[in-house]
Amino acid sequence: MSLTPSQWAALLPLILPALGACLIPLMALDKDQTSVKWIRAAMYGTALLAVGASFWYLTDLWTTGAQPSFFQLHLDRLAQFTGIFVLVAAALTILESWDHFHQEGWVKGETLSLLLFSVTGMMLFASTTHFVTLFLGLELFSIPLYAMVGTVRTRSESAEGGMKYFLTGAVASSCFLMGGVLIYGLSGTLDLASAAFTLKSQGLALDPMVLVGAALMLLGFLFKVSAVPFHQWTPDAYEASPHPIAGFMSVATKGVAFIALLRIFPGSLAPLGAVGVKMQAVMAVLAVVTLVVGNLTALVQTNVKRMLAYSSISHAGYLMLAFVAGTPAAFDGMLYYLVIYLAMNMGAFGLLTAFGLVGGQTTFEDLRGLGWKRPAMGVAAAIFMLSLAGIPPLGGFYGKYMIFRELVGTGHVGMAILGVLASLVSAYYYLRFLVALFLQAPSAEAERLASDRPAVHAPLAGAAVLVCAVIVLAGGFLQTFLADGFARRALVEGLGLIR
Amino acid sequence: MTWLNSHPLTFLVFAPAILGALILALPHALGRLSRMLGFMGALAIFALSLAWLLGHHGGGGVAERTPWFTLVGLPVDYALTVDGLNLWLVLLTTFLVPLTMLGTWNSLKDRIGTFAAMFLLLETGMLGALMAQDLFFFYLFWEAMLIPMYFMIGIWGGDERRYAATKFFLFTLSGSLLWLVALLYLANKAGGFNPLLMGQAAALLPLGAQHWLFIAFAVAFAIKVPLFPLHTWLPDAHTQAPTAGSVILAGVLLKLGGYGFIRFAIPIFPEAAMHYAKVIALLSVIAIVYGALVAMVQRDIKKLVAYSSVSHMGFVMLGLASFTVIGTQGAMLQMLNHGISTGALFLLVGMLYDRAHTRMIADFGGVAVKMPVFTAFFFIVTLSSIGLPLTNGFVGEFWILNGTFLSGFGWGRLYACLATSGVLLGAVYMLWMFKRVFWGPENKDEDSGTHHLHADLNAREIAVLLPIVVLIFWMGVHPRTFVAVSEAPVVALLQDAKAPAIRPFVLKPAVHEAEAAEGTHATPEASAEPAAQEVHR
Repeated sequence: MSLTPSQWAALLPLILPALGACLIPLMALDKDQTSVKWIRAAMYGTALLAVGASFWYLTDLWTTGAQPSFFQLHLDRLAQFTGIFVLVAAALTILESWDHFHQEGWVKGETLSLLLFSVTGMMLFASTTHFVTLFLGLELFSIPLYAMVGTVRTRSESAEGGMKYFLTGAVASSCFLMGGVLIYGLSGTLDLASAAFTLKSQGLALDPMVLVGAALMLLGFLFKVSAVPFHQWTPDAYEASPHPIAGFMSVATKGVAFIALLRIFPGSLAPLGAVGVKMQAVMAVLAVVTLVVGNLTALVQTNVKRMLAYSSISHAGYLMLAFVAGTPAAFDGMLYYLVIYLAMNMGAFGLLTAFGLVGGQTTFEDLRGLGWKRPAMGVAAAIFMLSLAGIPPLGGFYGKYMIFRELVGTGHVGMAILGVLASLVSAYYYLRFLVALFLQAPSAEAERLASDRPAVHAPLAGAAVLVCAVIVLAGGFLQTFLADGFARRALVEGLGLIR
Repeated sequence: MTWLNSHPLTFLVFAPAILGALILALPHALGRLSRMLGFMGALAIFALSLAWLLGHHGGGGVAERTPWFTLVGLPVDYALTVDGLNLWLVLLTTFLVPLTMLGTWNSLKDRIGTFAAMFLLLETGMLGALMAQDLFFFYLFWEAMLIPMYFMIGIWGGDERRYAATKFFLFTLSGSLLWLVALLYLANKAGGFNPLLMGQAAALLPLGAQHWLFIAFAVAFAIKVPLFPLHTWLPDAHTQAPTAGSVILAGVLLKLGGYGFIRFAIPIFPEAAMHYAKVIALLSVIAIVYGALVAMVQRDIKKLVAYSSVSHMGFVMLGLASFTVIGTQGAMLQMLNHGISTGALFLLVGMLYDRAHTRMIADFGGVAVKMPVFTAFFFIVTLSSIGLPLTNGFVGEFWILNGTFLSGFGWGRLYACLATSGVLLGAVYMLWMFKRVFWGPENKDEDSGTHHLHADLNAREIAVLLPIVVLIFWMGVHPRTFVAVSEAPVVALLQDAKAPAIRPFVLKPAVHEAEAAEGTHATPEASAEPAAQEVHR
């Protein structure tokens, strides 16, 4: 089979990370990677190279404006946006994990291999409307993630969290599969866009089976974005996984799931108008529940990672509000929000690594006074937390602003009020992070223990955190560039949504 | 220089933040240098603001407006203006910042460089909020201002600082987040955040919607003022904040609430504002009396001053609710008065605390013997806070009470009488505190505060207090300097608000004069005359 250049162009960004993923395990065949540092460095270098090459290729595609496709894989603007999004998250994860795994004393190149497979799966997941390809992408990115959560085998809770994530994730995947099967069974086609047309022409738009099928597919997506009530795995999985991996999961999984959801529900299934309306109602109810549960539960956490997990649940709620508004501008806001959210959350999890908090030492107590010891990291932390809380002039504010503005514009004033009240609650627990960093002195015992330990040395994680901080700050001042030049073009030219 | 000539306000607003960011980047060891840099920078900003702004109030003020960005279909303007309504508040801000830095030079022992940086960042927030003429732009500064203030209270505050800082932050945020929804709703109707467009759009809305929107605006501003019953964050924040934080909080941040009413809430919703005038006036009267009564029983001097703030700011809101020229002008002046007098009181309490390490009234007694110069300054400021004729406090409170009495509202006379009791109570709590702290036999107790007082004011502290005393008398004797520029905008504001027909007997001569002044291109000073005459009649 010979491929046209255009087909190659669509495949290359996915092939490059997959190739890297295959190469990395081979590198440690005859050398012990735990004792030979250059092997480890070569593995990390290969991973970065694979990610960088794919990123470079995608940005090149973006600037030329080409939207190649390979059968059911459509590398349109939205897919390119997703690819860039995921690759940046992956690059930050790789940088942060070098320091993190050295701190844990558990450096395995195979983790990177899993990460790269996951990246490939994510890009596949967000670039298709064909059900089988979609499911393939879902599994390709989920299964490596299950393994990555439990990657540090020396810690017992790590395996526990990985197992929990796997079991619940498997159930969600099978629900997703069942939903697709129902729609296929009624329409006879696996491509969701043409399935929607077929069902509509057969007058089956409101058939209970179609509704059940759509609902089950929605469940699969909502599980991945960790919306309440499908969120229980989130805190355990985040707590169990290494910090950078938790950051990657919180950002990339949520991001691609939302983008794929956008492609399928308002996108492909648009002809089934009634189904879309019903699903929007479901999203509205779940968004409210997610905001309330996520924020209130985050208030009482003592562990920073669990707090960040519940915060990521609550952010899923804000992003779901974009679907409640349902306008192109709201989706523009959602994509913008995702970009900033990427920087905020990768930064927040990266901070834990940069501060040298390994394993279970991630309570608020452990953070005390660290902001003064590491001023640059402290300033970055302030930027992330205030941006997560949505305080202007930082990037996070504009994401919320765009979504709330569309909510108000479409008449959902009550939802907007609920949203701002939720972010008021969230301000409290984000401030707690800053209170610990700046406003509390470390206890005498912590000081003594700290003086016994070697000084924290995490230059790569620190650099990644600073990059994130710059992105969040820039999001507050170059908002039009990001929202119009990047997110909006992805929507307009990729999905064909015209404002 | 050409850029500076066309963007003086941009420079004034952002120069402090840039300097602050630079100072933040300096290492901790250079704290003393950072403090000096910060002070010199703030002083330069003050000098520049005087030079650039004072000369311009004859025309339409200084303004910069250019489209900034359009997001989700709503254009946002980069709009800064200094005109009659905010000129003196801007100058008050640029004046208080270097003054406070100098006044609290040695109060803090650690992280002084970071503190100076926070102070400068805060100055940018305050100046930006005072000058912004686009509601989105205003909102950015309004919220961004919380960040440095939060850290100032939280890092350098007293024992309960974490609680006070978080309460301050969340309390203010709660009002402004709900306000944001109202703002978005209105911007949606108006197609932008320009206050003029918003006012036009608001007038077309059904009355019920206008009322809700006004309430959202009013609550956000009232929290900042703070109006009873939304004042509970203030005593905590004031008491726990370091001296410099308290001074700026009282001097400028509270003013932004009142300013928000004059600048945005009343012009955009004149009808709803008139409708709720009685409620606002009632709450103001409660704040005046309640604040004074609570101040009376305080044992901590700083807390006493904090509650006196609630009482004094109640006068500002009462003046605004009167919808008369004289009442509103009184409110404008009272905002400046309060910034000067209460700011000075916090500075003085800070100076006392630095020496004695206590602020409890019972720990003092006979301070006048130990610190005669300090006592003299404290006495002048006390009198100004009470509102003795010839000092600034008198003029503002008198105009406000006058305006309320003559407002023509059914409740005007009753509320004016009730509020007058606040003036009386003000004298009671201030003089009683003064008596217990300064007069009487010297407190010989080893642990007492008086015992720890060794030195009277030094030259630096006197240099800080002298300009304040000058201003207190200047504003008391010749208030026209400070209210002349706001006469025309205030008259226009009240005309737009369609203040009831019974008021012209205060309003009429002023309107007449203002039109004459426009015709002959005379300075607005002339139009301030009638209001002043009204007072002296």
